[in-house]
Amino acid sequence: PNTPSQTFFVEFHSHLNGQGGCWETQSWAAVLMFCFSILQYEMYTIERNAERTASAGRLLYDMFVNFPDQPAVWREISVITSALRNDSQDKQTQFLRGLFETLPGRVQCEMLLKATEQCFNTLERAEMLLLLLRRFPETVVQHGVGLGETLLDAESIEDQESPVNCFRKLFVCDVLPLIINNPDVRLPASLLYKYLNKAAEFYINYVTRSTQTESQYQGSQDSSDIMSPSKRSSQKYVIDGLTEKSSQITDPWERLFKILSVVGMRCEWQMDKGRRSFGDILHRMKDLCRYISNFDSDAHAKYKNQVVYSTMLVFFKNAFQYVSNIQPSLFQGPNAPNQAPLVLLEDVTNIYGDTDIDRNKHIHKKRKLAEGREKTMSSDDEDPSGKARSRHITVNKADLANSIEVLESFKLARESWELLYSLESLDKEFTRICLSWKTDTWLWLRIFLTDMIIYQGQYKKAISSLHHLAALQGSHSPQQITGQGSLESQRALIQLATCHFALGEYRQTCEKVLDLVCCISLPIQEGGKVQEEQPKVKSKFRKGSDLKLWPCTSRAIMPYCLHLLLACFKLRAFTDSRDDMALGHVVVLLQHEWPRGENLFLKAINKICQQGNFQYENFFNYVTNIDMLEEFAYLRTQEGGKIHLELLPNQAMLIKHHTVTRGITKGVKEDFRLAMERQVSRCGENLMVVLHRFCINEKILLLQTLA
Amino acid sequence: MCNYFQEQTKDSVRQIIFSSLFSPQGNKADDSRMALLGKLVSMAVAVCRVPVLECAAFWLQRTPAVYCVRLARALVDDYCNLVPGSIQTLKQIFSASPRFCCQFITSVTALYDLSSDDLIPPSDLLELIVSWIFEDPRLILITFLNTPIAANLPIGFLELTPLTGLIRWCVKAPLAYKRKKKASLSNGHPPSKIAKDSTSGEDRDCHQLYSKLHLSVLQVLMMLQGHLTEKNLYGRLGLVPFDHVVPLVEEINRLSDELNPLNASKEIELALDRLAQALQVAMASGALLCTRDDLRTVCSRLPHNNLLQLVISGPVQQPSHGTLPPGFYPHIHTPPLGYPAHAAHPALPAHPALPAHPVQTFIPGMTFPYRPIR
Repeated sequence: PNTPSQTFFVEFHSHLNGQGGCWETQSWAAVLMFCFSILQYEMYTIERNAERTASAGRLLYDMFVNFPDQPAVWREISVITSALRNDSQDKQTQFLRGLFETLPGRVQCEMLLKATEQCFNTLERAEMLLLLLRRFPETVVQHGVGLGETLLDAESIEDQESPVNCFRKLFVCDVLPLIINNPDVRLPASLLYKYLNKAAEFYINYVTRSTQTESQYQGSQDSSDIMSPSKRSSQKYVIDGLTEKSSQITDPWERLFKILSVVGMRCEWQMDKGRRSFGDILHRMKDLCRYISNFDSDAHAKYKNQVVYSTMLVFFKNAFQYVSNIQPSLFQGPNAPNQAPLVLLEDVTNIYGDTDIDRNKHIHKKRKLAEGREKTMSSDDEDPSGKARSRHITVNKADLANSIEVLESFKLARESWELLYSLESLDKEFTRICLSWKTDTWLWLRIFLTDMIIYQGQYKKAISSLHHLAALQGSHSPQQITGQGSLESQRALIQLATCHFALGEYRQTCEKVLDLVCCISLPIQEGGKVQEEQPKVKSKFRKGSDLKLWPCTSRAIMPYCLHLLLACFKLRAFTDSRDDMALGHVVVLLQHEWPRGENLFLKAINKICQQGNFQYENFFNYVTNIDMLEEFAYLRTQEGGKIHLELLPNQAMLIKHHTVTRGITKGVKEDFRLAMERQVSRCGENLMVVLHRFCINEKILLLQTLA
Repeated sequence: MCNYFQEQTKDSVRQIIFSSLFSPQGNKADDSRMALLGKLVSMAVAVCRVPVLECAAFWLQRTPAVYCVRLARALVDDYCNLVPGSIQTLKQIFSASPRFCCQFITSVTALYDLSSDDLIPPSDLLELIVSWIFEDPRLILITFLNTPIAANLPIGFLELTPLTGLIRWCVKAPLAYKRKKKASLSNGHPPSKIAKDSTSGEDRDCHQLYSKLHLSVLQVLMMLQGHLTEKNLYGRLGLVPFDHVVPLVEEINRLSDELNPLNASKEIELALDRLAQALQVAMASGALLCTRDDLRTVCSRLPHNNLLQLVISGPVQQPSHGTLPPGFYPHIHTPPLGYPAHAAHPALPAHPALPAHPVQTFIPGMTFPYRPIR
């Protein structure tokens, strides 16, 4: 023997001949193997630290084959497998990945399996198995479903509150596609539906995750910055337990519909090839419903599932599409940050039109109400679908660039909803799914449903939906409610006003409007021009049954509020009985968008002339319109009909006062003249400020008038 | 008393009563205390009273080793010397209270250290212990694995494992038996032929048992690394204390001087082979914390042995990883104290009295450049 290593092995070898007895020989062999494993490991260490991929890989392979139970070998394997799971691009990680690649496939497979067995953390274990399943599709048959079930179990064991959690993410995005796309894995339909359900719940919740949820993940150290939308969208969403990269899911809807189509294929649905639009899918589901009369028979059970799941996904996708466009700030993602949120409201732009038509309509409605007293919902008992089809939603191009698509989404979602509720068996299944997903806590869905109900003209139902919405909104973002000028959070209030108005409940309308005005911050730029663009011809035909998507901004909402108030008081002011207060309010409100309400104003003047006198003590506080002032000044003249006007506050008292000192007429005349002169100088005042003050200061009086 | 401990349902109460009764107080009563304890445990073994045995196991852990040894002797007297064949009763305790068995082995190895002929374990006892350990080598580690451990062990108590004691048995046995045989021959009473045959037959059986035991000890040492790492004690706890290795080496040295190296060369080689194997495996698995320099100094006067020479030189020397970031890659097989890559070994102190046989010579720079065999 020459070299020391030869000496070493010869020394051992000479004792392996059994001379010292059986046990002695075994000791020598054991020590030899032990030393050999150490040497091999140390050799490996040298190669590995020198980053010689090929030779390190060969040594690792030898160690794995010869000493599979050595803890050191296991530590090494776990280091390598964690490098495989890692996103990191650093040199060391890349080297380890390269090292793994040098191993023969069979060894890789065995190594991953054994590493999985050693792993007690569910998440790590799952990630490890996924490495295996991805690399060796043949292992999916044996381990795929088991892994999936483990993840679903882990989710419930670990009490995950949200379906958007690390276990579900791994299941839906990583494991499920492997299972259902593997032709050798055969699953019963019930399991496939369960998985489809889990996937749908995950993706929908993922897409619609709110910005609030996100801010919970951020530290509190920069909470002041979180509110700024630009900052918010730049922050990445991370699912607890996963890496940032693994938390990002591209094209979630596309993935979901892919799963739908694969599950459909596997469950032998009535499918056809090729990509279809959502409209096509819905159309086909409607056809299926028409052909299949009884979904509850066993033979048709799969078609029931087909209709429910397909329609449901079309529904959620389009409802989301609609809501994400009208209120982008609700969701994360690359939404245009400067687009104002929109709110669906009854169109009342024809407010300046002839009152007689409106009155007739409402009288008709009231009579109807009286007739069917036992029916609680006046408008709700009309066939919603019949009514819905006739309605039209307008939206300004400037407010929503892709309005056609958004309205199409709204329509598709509505029709899907109607289809799901058209048959009892579909309804039952859909309701069951919604219950399990707790959809009644989804703010965004509530926003859609409310809009849909308003669209259907079921205002009573809409009002209860809006109370639900307000409660959800309160729980979602308590800090936003108090935030000034954030009308977005007052969406429920605005819509409540519009619903009460549609129901002819003017006092409640007024109440909501005035509450809302309190939230509107000044100054407001006058947005008269926008309203001017309204095509008046169209509205004549539609007779007020139109809806409009209004920007949820002070600038747009304040005029809308004034319209509603005018509409409420207009009816009272022009009834046959006399109501000077209402008439006075109408005059104040008609200043807005002057001269659009000129006809109505003239009608009011007419009424005053007929009455011969008129009392409205707030006149000089809130009327600054020069045309109106002129008209009232004229009324007092001989030519104007010498109408007796009591427009100054406490005029009755003043009259008494003047009697003593200077004589009635002269003093009053003088006061009126002075007031008029002063008022003319106020003509330049910002009208919106005046009207805002009117709403806030006279809130009690306004409500009393409608009592 | 045995019944009381058997019937007490609360573990903690039983423990407290047991230790308050039998903890040595350093007064005259200790003798009767120990006598009573010996009887109690002996009886518990006889009628298999597990709670008492468990209490005794804890007592053995918390009582100074001198008293533990006394209890061990009492039990050995009862079961090995007094009634022949009663050892079978003791043997059955293995399944009833492994914890007691483990502590019993530790105390027995502390008692019988082979320093004299009297302190060679009775063959029945040896057979018992080897059969236990061979059945499940992990028995040795039961106390260690089930006790919360501080890195600093108290002095004067039994060790956490019987490992050191068992290594001592295996390594010293060939020499101790040789000495015993030599003594009986030189006593001038050549035994009758029949007696001689039976004795040598018995010794041969014992040699087999020590061989078997040595293999088991090595196996346990090899699995230690995982356990130490698991308990986060790797490199922090020397289960085979270097301080105990030093006297062991001294004794071997003395014994081999004592025996005529020419007549006992086979025994000496066997002892040194076993020593070298145990040291190598203990160091590599982190049970023995010392540098190869330490070892070299300690073993310098031992007779030459090929394997020991190799072990002292060490296998592949670690290149130093100065360029690597700290914590980049742990050398799990390197004892954490580390040894210099190329030992600048001081010249060995010259011994005034040169031993009669060639000593371990250290070949500087002798490393084992590893070439994979394939």
